[in-house]
Order: sequence, then C-alpha cells, then structure tokens
Amino acid sequence: MWYKNKGQENDVAVSTRIRLARNLNGYPFEGRLNEEQAKEIIEKVWSVFEGKSGWTFVDFSALPAIERASYAERHIVSPEFAKKQGPCALIVNEEASVYIMVLEEDHLRIQAISAGFDLSGTMKAVTDAEKLLDEVLDIAYSEKLGYLTHCPTNLGTGMRASVMLHLPAYIGAGGIRNLQGQLEKLGLTMRGMTGEGSSASGGLYQISNQITLGITEDETIAKLEDVIGQIIAKERDLRGRISRDSLDNLSDRVMRDMGVMMYATRIGSAELISLYSDVRLGAALNLLSLPIEKLDEMLMRCMPNTICAEREGMLTPAERDRARAAIVREILGKANNAE
Amino acid sequence: MLCERCKKKEATFYYHENVNGTEKTYSLCRDCADELKKSGELGKFGGFGTEFAPFESLFAHDPFENIDSLFSKQEIFGSLFAPAKTRQLAERGSAKKCPLCGMTLSDFSREGKVGCPTCYETFADELEPAIGRIHGRTAHNGRAPSKFREKTELKNRIRALEAEQKEAIKTENYERAAEIRDELKNLRGQA
Repeated sequence: MWYKNKGQENDVAVSTRIRLARNLNGYPFEGRLNEEQAKEIIEKVWSVFEGKSGWTFVDFSALPAIERASYAERHIVSPEFAKKQGPCALIVNEEASVYIMVLEEDHLRIQAISAGFDLSGTMKAVTDAEKLLDEVLDIAYSEKLGYLTHCPTNLGTGMRASVMLHLPAYIGAGGIRNLQGQLEKLGLTMRGMTGEGSSASGGLYQISNQITLGITEDETIAKLEDVIGQIIAKERDLRGRISRDSLDNLSDRVMRDMGVMMYATRIGSAELISLYSDVRLGAALNLLSLPIEKLDEMLMRCMPNTICAEREGMLTPAERDRARAAIVREILGKANNAE
Repeated sequence: MLCERCKKKEATFYYHENVNGTEKTYSLCRDCADELKKSGELGKFGGFGTEFAPFESLFAHDPFENIDSLFSKQEIFGSLFAPAKTRQLAERGSAKKCPLCGMTLSDFSREGKVGCPTCYETFADELEPAIGRIHGRTAHNGRAPSKFREKTELKNRIRALEAEQKEAIKTENYERAAEIRDELKNLRGQA
C-alpha cells in the first residue's frame, strides 16, 4: 500500500500516480456494453494474470459499498469506479503498487502508485504491467490517434501522471492562484484535494498533465519532473521564510495540535485534515520528531469509509469520530515507541 | 450492493440501529429509504437510527481523476463546431452510424464520449476538429502496442532526423545534412 512506504522528497510530495487508459478492439464502451461482453472482457484480462504469481483478482462488483468507497478514499480507484454498477474487477499486484481497474470508464485503467515524488519508478511499474497485457490482448490503437479511449480527452498516450503535493507555505504566501495559472499555460493542471485554498483543505494539491495527444510519454514525464521539482524547491524556500519569521507562532500551533491528537477522544474528519496539515509541516521543519509517512498513513486510515471498513461495520458519525481519535493515538504511540 | 427491500436498485443508504443492545443494519436504495422513512418504519426507535452515506468523503471532489470534468462536456464539445456547422454535421451524423456500436454523431455531441474504438474511424473527419481543440494537436507521438512498434519507431526516427536536418542546414553543416538526406531516403523506403 503506497502510504505505508517512505517516499522520496516526502517533506513536500505525498504520492505519485500514473495511469494508462487502454481498450480492447471489438467491444463497445460502457453504456453500450452488455453484461455478457463485460464478463468476457473481465475474463480475458484476468486470463493474462491468472497463471502469474503475485497477482490477485478482486471481484469489485461484489464488494460491500463501504469497502469500495474506502478504495476510492485512499486513491486506489476513482470515485466513479467505486460507484460503478454492473460487472467490474480490480487486479492487484503483490506489493499493492499496481492496480488494474477493469471496466472503469475505459476497458482497462492500468495504474501505479508510489509514495513521495517518483515519476520514473512509477512509470516503470505501470509500463511493466502494461507489457504483460500488450503481448496478449488486442489493444485498440490507431497510428494517427494513438491509444483509442472512451473520452477523446485521453487519446494519444492515454497517460495521466499526477503528483500530490503538500503546499501549506504556498497557501500561506497566497501563491496558489498564480501557480495554477502558470501551470495551465504549460498544459498542466492543478486541483485542490479538498476544496480550494481554505485553511481546512489540508494544503494538498494534485498536479497532472492535461494533454495526451501529440506529446510522448517521456516528454510528459520530463515536463512534470522539471515543473514539480521547481514547485517543491519553492515550497521549501517559503517554509524556510516561515521558520525564520514566525517560528514561535508555528511551533506553538503545531504543539497544541499534537496535544489534541494525543489526548482527544473524538476527532471529526475536517478537524483531522487540518491537524494533519499543521503537524505535517511541523514534522518537515523538524519542530517535532515524527516520521512524515506515518502522518500520510494516518490521513488515509482516518477517512470515513476506511474507518468503517477497518472496523468491519457501519459506524455512526460519533462512533467514527471516536474510532478516528483511537487510530490517531495508535499511530502516534507506535511512532513514539519506534524512536 | 442491491437494495434489501426491492432487490432492484443499488443500495446507497445504510441504516444502523441499536435497539436495547440488538444491532440491525439495513442497506436500501434511495426510493425505499424515503418510503420507509415516510411510513415511519425506519427511525421509529427515535434517535437510534443513523443514516450513513457510503460515498460521503473528506474530499469535496475527486482529487485524482477526471480532468475531463474540469471543463464540462457541453463546454468542450458544444462549442467545438460553429452553429451552422453543428447543424450540418448533425444532419450528416444522423444518417451515419458506427457499424460496431451504433453511435451517431448526435449521440456523441450529447454524451461527449464515443461508443467504441471503431467510432474514431467511422467519424474520423467529424471528430478531428474536436480532438484538435482539446489537445492542440491531432497526431499521436508516443508509444505503441508491440504489433505497431516497429513501424512507430521508424516513424519517430524519421521525425527526429527531419528535425536534425533542419538544424544542420540552419547551422550550415551541409556535410551532416547530406548524410541525413541519404539516411532519410533509406528509411522512407522502408516505411
């Protein structure tokens, strides 16, 4: 699971994700695909992996709604896939770093996720998985338009690469809107994860490529590598200014947050994400000694459906808040003992 | 998961009740949930029933996917054709149908997505301006499935050499330009 690992540049970068959209010749897309054809596609795709060790088949359509939603909360599948009706499947590798969604919007969405900022490693993982499929399946492709996809916005490489960044200092400096505009000019796009720029947003932003036709995979990756590298450097620079100018304020706030996390018995989801953001910044600036990856794990495990899935039951909001506080204490406790 | 009551629609509402220590969970579709709430069957134990929406999330919107939804389909595809052209295309499109999936051009402008991979061939002319507007380009430049790979690599090599040739001429490196010309001639023969 990506959030159990320590990623590169994880003081700023949370995760890297790359997905390839692929389709099979001879089958219509969702909406025009009947159940029999859908099952045929799932069978065909799984037959590629069935004999290979390390791959697991998950009959996604048979999973309880909570578990499906939990996959989406942890960015393993798209929310659309979590809500999808009718046959669909998820094929996962041993390390839980490559996920193949069968019958999402496209017949296949091959996806690799890594912790931190690692475009080349993630690209290798997703390409290796694709190779297995490419050798066996009749993938829809035209020399002119590249990989043929359900939505024309994905034509060409069918590749979307995205990196999630924690940018609290950028927000503090009021630089997000400006950054958004600059990225757009480069054919990249940036989205807030929890709503735009509010203090409760957790400071998390995802940057990804927008254009997939006429630009090679390598060019896209190189562009993202370059631009995101610059954003990370700028965020560090801005953080440096905060620690020079208002270290006292920041450190007081972070320590108060730690107090809440260690002793509160109920933590709401909005409160958690704001605690996460402050303490993550504090840990990155060495105001407290706490492995950053533990905080990312905490955030993922504290999502409402994920809490319910872990407790194997439907919890009331109040029960979830109690369970959330318990998870936070557990993770902080483990981190402290490990020191 | 299907609704426990009607067994037809997808369950999107969950009720969790704790009545004197006996726990009960119901999974229901929206319609059945509304009906039972109205009739008072659900929630009759006062404050013990809890509604739980499984797709409630911390995230206001999908953080990772769906660049597509950044611009609404209407925005992309509705404005792609000037009004006169839209009418003209719609008329042509209503006659034309994809042989594999049956999609028409008016289906496309409504849905914003094609019906199957073959549609791109069926409606190649009609779709090209739309594709150009989205990406700014209309020709793929990147990896290919293994069965196309050799051909694609050749194409990419030719493209790279053409660029190099231009550069060589610009810098008056005519010796290199001549070399490239011969190599290109050879490669074009294979393509």
